[in-house]
Amino acid sequence: MSYLVIEGLHKNYGQSTVLSNINMEIEKGEFITLLGPSGCGKSTILRIVAGLTDASAGKIAIEGKDMCGVQPKDRQVGMVFQSYALFPNMTVQENVAFGLRMQKVHSVDLEQRVQEMLALVHLSEKAHAYPKELSGGQQQRVALARALIVRPKVLLLDEPLSALDAQIRKKLQTDLRAIQRKLSMTMILVTHDQEEAMAVSDRIFVMNNGSIAQSGTPTEIYTRPENEFIANFIGHYNVFMRQDLEQMLGEPLSEQYSKFAIRPEALHFDKKNNDMCLTGKAKQSLMSGNIIRTTFEGETLFTMEQLHQQGYSIEMGKTYKCYVAKEDVIALS
Amino acid sequence: MKKRGLADLFFLLLVGYLILPVLATMLYAFASKWNKTILPEGLTLKWLSTLFQDTEFIQAFGRSVFLAGGAVSIALLIIVPAIFVIVLYFPKYEKWIQMAVVMVYSFPGIILAVGLIRVYSQIGIPMIFVVLGAYVVGILPYIYQGTRNSLRNIDARQLLDAAQLLGASKRQAFTKILLPTVYPGLFAGALLSFSVLFGEFVLINLVVGSRFETVQIYLMKKLSTSGHIASAVVFIYIVLMGLLTFVIAIVTKRSKGATNL
Repeated sequence: MSYLVIEGLHKNYGQSTVLSNINMEIEKGEFITLLGPSGCGKSTILRIVAGLTDASAGKIAIEGKDMCGVQPKDRQVGMVFQSYALFPNMTVQENVAFGLRMQKVHSVDLEQRVQEMLALVHLSEKAHAYPKELSGGQQQRVALARALIVRPKVLLLDEPLSALDAQIRKKLQTDLRAIQRKLSMTMILVTHDQEEAMAVSDRIFVMNNGSIAQSGTPTEIYTRPENEFIANFIGHYNVFMRQDLEQMLGEPLSEQYSKFAIRPEALHFDKKNNDMCLTGKAKQSLMSGNIIRTTFEGETLFTMEQLHQQGYSIEMGKTYKCYVAKEDVIALS
Repeated sequence: MKKRGLADLFFLLLVGYLILPVLATMLYAFASKWNKTILPEGLTLKWLSTLFQDTEFIQAFGRSVFLAGGAVSIALLIIVPAIFVIVLYFPKYEKWIQMAVVMVYSFPGIILAVGLIRVYSQIGIPMIFVVLGAYVVGILPYIYQGTRNSLRNIDARQLLDAAQLLGASKRQAFTKILLPTVYPGLFAGALLSFSVLFGEFVLINLVVGSRFETVQIYLMKKLSTSGHIASAVVFIYIVLMGLLTFVIAIVTKRSKGATNL
């Protein structure tokens, strides 16, 4: 049996359904991400797992123990909130020690564990500072330390990095993953940032309108989107109607599917064996860091992404032939 | 430069207009004689000393502290937990508190006094308890604003959730996290309420009168017998209010991390 099992979870608020038949099985030490747009119900799942919100139906079990009716304080589930939720009347050290004080841990042991935890999140020198004297990144690390120190069975992370600027966010993503591996802790992260999800997760559950749209490893999710929602949400996929794509490629596609997707970076100018060809006039080119994203106009608009060093200079208004391998034309259900 | 000078002049005039009567009253409390001269002919501690030797004043002072302090304590015990529960768990009912706050302001003292006498005088409840009850309701706006503003500065619900997930019971989360966090705002609201009630005259004079003589009623009585003694009472009142204001300022400034009024 899996370490954390969520079975047939439903949540309604009055007439509106927030979660519908959520099923998940998570193994010990896995880093799971719930990815989806705002309002899709991912934070509600975390709150139900934590016991802060009651489910309308369904079951949650941790290590085989049914969590129904178990108080939040007795679940051994930790949580890091988006707004950090640090106790403003306590110093960093007192915040981190709070959970151990509630467990009545002996003061010598408590002191040692707090120091170790502060060292782990690189905040030893800020032990006596108050939360409002810290930067956003530091506050988030205190929140993480405070949740980790009680050694929860599952750590829930509710968009913990979304309020931070890009550079600090990337650094904390790396730190978070390193800490999770070091402690072999089961973590569930909620985010709407697909890059963040790809960077840290063992598995991703993509959610839409209160249900799970697709689950799998980051590679599976990115390279094999099952439907249009995933293709649009997970990257900058080109999504075509079958008839449009057939006209552009000049060959028939499976009639079983009405839509197809092509990753922008799967398009290239050099023809290889059995490649399919899309023809389009270059309309617009945008630079996004090390990527050049060019929009072409064929039967419909499509986008191609190239690295700078690929060295192709694209003239606007000129017609180009773009090639794609057959296996990179993905049928959407 | 000319504009600045004119502004300064008006500012000084305003300050003089507000401060001079207070200063004059305070000075009169120390004046041995002040009838035909611009400044007192001499200074003395006689009036203050007489006042502190007057058991009637000491008792009146004690009654005022008892009444104001009692009302504030009851309000803290009843109103504050109610506000916490409503704000955290039943926010839709907050509009009713806000309505009650407005209603407190809308009742003039005289109407309130007549209403209280008509309703409660026949029931047999000692009228001083009726005034105490009216005081508790009367300071609702100060206590509500103090508590609400402090709660507004923090995500109280999430702090409670965080504390519970770390193993705290609801009571522990409330006493160890929420209460210390909102304490300065609450304390300032309580002191403000105390100072307002300590100076209240209309209700206590009309409903109870000399049967329960407070500092304000004592002051009224002394106005017709000795201006110096009356000024000494005002001096003590101003010093007390100054002290309360100072304490409010210190508390709201010092408390690190906690939220202010």
